[in-house]
Amino acid sequence: MSVEVLVSADDLTEMVDQVWLSYLDPEGIDPLVATGDEKQPTEVHAMVSITGSWHGHLVYASSTAAARKAAAGFLAMTVDEVGEEDVTDVLGELANIVGGNVKAMLPDGCFLSLPTVIMAPESASHHPSAHRISGLYGQWAGEPVSISMWQSVKPEAGK
Amino acid sequence: MRAMVIDDSRAMRMILKRIVAKLNFETVEAGDGQEALDLLATMTEVPDLALIDWNMPNMNGLEFVTKVRADARLREMTLVMVTTESEQNQIVRALAAGAHEYVIKPFTEGAMIEKLALLGLVPSGASS
Amino acid sequence: MTLSQADFNFVSQLVRREAAIVLAPGKEYLVEARLIPVARVVGATGVAEFLADLQRRPNPDNQRRVIDALTTNETSWFRDREPFAALTDVVLPDLVKSRSTARKVRLWSAASSSGQEAYSLAITLQENLPPGWNFEIMGSDISTEMIKRAEKAEYSQVEVNRGLPASALVQYFERAGAHWRITPALRRNVSFKLMNLTAPLPALAPFDVIFLRNVLIYFDVATKKSVLRNVSRLLRPDGWLFLGAAETTIGIDDNYERVATGRTSAYRVRSAVPSGAVGRG
Repeated sequence: MSVEVLVSADDLTEMVDQVWLSYLDPEGIDPLVATGDEKQPTEVHAMVSITGSWHGHLVYASSTAAARKAAAGFLAMTVDEVGEEDVTDVLGELANIVGGNVKAMLPDGCFLSLPTVIMAPESASHHPSAHRISGLYGQWAGEPVSISMWQSVKPEAGK
Repeated sequence: MRAMVIDDSRAMRMILKRIVAKLNFETVEAGDGQEALDLLATMTEVPDLALIDWNMPNMNGLEFVTKVRADARLREMTLVMVTTESEQNQIVRALAAGAHEYVIKPFTEGAMIEKLALLGLVPSGASS
Repeated sequence: MTLSQADFNFVSQLVRREAAIVLAPGKEYLVEARLIPVARVVGATGVAEFLADLQRRPNPDNQRRVIDALTTNETSWFRDREPFAALTDVVLPDLVKSRSTARKVRLWSAASSSGQEAYSLAITLQENLPPGWNFEIMGSDISTEMIKRAEKAEYSQVEVNRGLPASALVQYFERAGAHWRITPALRRNVSFKLMNLTAPLPALAPFDVIFLRNVLIYFDVATKKSVLRNVSRLLRPDGWLFLGAAETTIGIDDNYERVATGRTSAYRVRSAVPSGAVGRG
C-alpha cells in the first residue's frame, strides 16, 4: 500500500494543527494557514528520520523569524529573548512531535531518530534517494512554514 | 510536592515545568534517563512525580521506568510518560514496564492537568 | 468579515454563563470560524444573521449549538470524575442486588454530544459489572451532527488525551489512521438516538440510571420542569438520576430526593426511596 494512502495530506494537516493548538496557538487565533506554495524560500529546517519497516524523513522548514516565533511560544519568552540554542531545540522538538505522530500511522516496526536541526534553507540538505510524499506549505503570521514527508527509495538492483 | 521532568528537549522541559508549577510542584530536570538516575541518587527526598520522554540519548524513558520500578528506594514515584510514541503496543509496553499514566504529544495544558488529576496529584481548586 | 464587538460580547457572555468558558478579547477569529458551520446548519446566511436571530429570540437549541461549537476538542472523558466514581462505588453495587434476576442494566446519557459520556459509561460498566451481566447504553442528542460523530466513535489524539486513563485507551480503543476508535466489542453496547428533551419523548424501556448533566442550565424554570418530567417517565422507580455539578432538582421538581453518593449526589424518586436510604455521605 502506498504511503500516500497511509498518511494523507489531511492527516498531516490535522497533526500540525494539533501541535499549533497545543503549544503555539492555544486560542486558535494565530493558525498556520495553508497556501500550497511549495517554492517558498526557507532559512532553517529540522528533520527526523524514520527507519525500520519504512524509510524516510519528516522535515519542518521555515524562515528564521517563524522559527524564533515558535521558540518564543514554546518557551514563554519574547522573540527578542530567544537565543539560537532555543531555536534549534524547539525546531527539533516540533519535528520530533510531528514525526512521532506520522510514525504511528505507518506499518509496525518503525523507529524515529533524534532530530537534526540545520540553520540553512531546506534546499541545502540533499537526500539523493528521497522523494516527497506529501507536504503542508503555508504562512504563519506572514512567515513561510512547511512540514513535508519524504520517502527514501532504494535504487533497484542492476540500475 | 516535587516533580522531575525528563526530556532531551529543553523547550519541552520548560513547558512541563510551567504546568506542574501551577499545581504547586517544585521541579528538578534531567536531559535523559541516565542523567535522571544520577540526579535521583543524590537526592535525599525522592520526587513524587516524574514526567518522562521516551526517545532520549544515553537511556530512553522506557529503560528509566524499568530501572526505577526495580529500585526499592524509587518505587513510590508516580511515573508518567510524555511522548510522541503513540502506537498501541508502545503504550502497552510502557504501562507493563510500570508507568502509571501516558500522555501523547502534542498535549494541551488542560489535558496534562486532567491526566495528573487522574493520579490524584492535583490539589482541589486548581484547574486549567 | 470579522465578528462585531457586540456579537462577540453576546457570545462571550453566553458561553461564560452557560459553560464557564472565558473568551478573552482577540478570540473573534476563533469564534467566527467555529460558528460558520453552525450558521450553515441552521440555514442562516452567515454568522451575523445567526447571532442577530439568537439575540432577538432566545433559542436553547441554537444556544447549545454555540456552546458545542466552542467546546469542541475540550470534551473530557469521565467528566468531573465523581459521578463515575459514584456509579462504581454506590449505584452499581445497588443495582447488582436489585437487578440480580435480569442481570442487565440500562443507562441513558441524555445530551450525549460527541459521545464521550456514553462511552465513558460503557467503560465504567464493562469494568465494574460482574461476569455474566449485560448492559445497554443509549446516548441521545438534539443535534444530528453530534449523533453522527458519536456513532462514528472516532476521536483525535488531543481528544483522547482528555481525562481518559491510558489503560482504558489501550483496552477499549483501536487506532484508525490518525484517530482512535472505540473497539467493536465495547461499541455494540452503545446506541444513539436523536431526541429533543423538551418535547414528549418516545416510549422506551425505562432506564436504571440517567445522566442528565449540564443540560438543564440551558433552559428556563418552566422548561426545566417539563424536561425533568419527561425524563422521569423513562426512569425506573428506583433508578438514579445524575445532574451536572452545579445543578439540582431542588426548586424544580419535588418528586426527587437528593442522595449522597460518595463525594457527589444523585437524585432518586422520593416515594421509592425507603428511609435510611442507600448512599454513603
